[in-house]
Amino acid sequence: MSHDHDHDDHDHDHDHGDGHVHPAAPMVEEITDFEVLEIAVCELAIEKGLFTAEDHRRFTEWAEQIGPAAGSRLVAKAWTDPAYKARVLSDPVGACKEIGIDWAEPTGSGTPSDYMNLRVLEDTPTLHHVIVCTLCSCYPRPLLGHSPYWYRSPNYRRRLIRWPRQVLAEFGLVLPPEVEVRVEDSNQKCRFMVLPVRPEGTDGWTEEQLAEIVTRDTMIGVALPRPGRTADDVRPVHKARRPVPHEGGAEAHP
Amino acid sequence: MSGNSVPARFNVGDRVRVRDLPNLFYTRTQMYVRGATGVVAERTYEDLIPEDEAWNRDGAPREQFYIVRFRQKDLWSGYPFETDTLQTELPDRWLEPAGG
Repeated sequence: MSHDHDHDDHDHDHDHGDGHVHPAAPMVEEITDFEVLEIAVCELAIEKGLFTAEDHRRFTEWAEQIGPAAGSRLVAKAWTDPAYKARVLSDPVGACKEIGIDWAEPTGSGTPSDYMNLRVLEDTPTLHHVIVCTLCSCYPRPLLGHSPYWYRSPNYRRRLIRWPRQVLAEFGLVLPPEVEVRVEDSNQKCRFMVLPVRPEGTDGWTEEQLAEIVTRDTMIGVALPRPGRTADDVRPVHKARRPVPHEGGAEAHP
Repeated sequence: MSGNSVPARFNVGDRVRVRDLPNLFYTRTQMYVRGATGVVAERTYEDLIPEDEAWNRDGAPREQFYIVRFRQKDLWSGYPFETDTLQTELPDRWLEPAGG
């Protein structure tokens, strides 16, 4: 065993006793300044007693598991129960409580919500809604979970309001001119979700079967639900052009 | 909450024009709707205007917020689809009667 090198640097080589040197592999390929800042602030807050590591773990686990399942349940129930659909449109926050979502207590850890003004936008055969937040990326998280990265991109936020049909076509959704495309720019405290038209070929389906085809993108308005479509399209991911290099790696930039 | 509020001036169906008020540092009234005429689609809630809330002026009066619907043809020159619309939300003071 070699003891004459500096153990403070995590990238130092380990001698595994087999005569070969194995550089420690980094846990991630790149890390952003913001991730480093987040870790530093979190540790500082715990040190100062603002919250405990256990609080943080519990909240992180909640934040990482939210998704669009509640929204799907709401749509499936509205499709099968006309009285519930009427409540969804007239008292959306109350209708959410019926499917287990409380906008007044969205995190379950006492974090109050400022955003109690949900509106559900009902599509018809001649009216198609699509939602954007041009100012930032407002999104109905209690129902849909976290927004996809493309929803937060300037590409989507700037272009959808001006060229909605072109942007929808990039998602594979082309609508005839007779259908009114209505863009909803959520720039204040209202939060929006689309209630799509129930597609053909779903007669007699259970709520569970219907919820399976109500995916996140259908509740934003960039896709239409249909039998057999149980997942949103995967958007292309492009590798970083100038990734932050880790020390000692072969990819390190000069 | 101080409880004071400004009387709402508009009802659903009213034609309104978006005012181009000067704003320093912060606003939620987008440039693309300034000067545009639309129709009030919904009255949503009363609240501080964002320009007051951003500066913690909690004593400022609350105003009615409205969802206003615009024809895309009225927002963008040469927009080719007849019936497409856009909706966004604006507080009372940012609107004026459009008439007609």
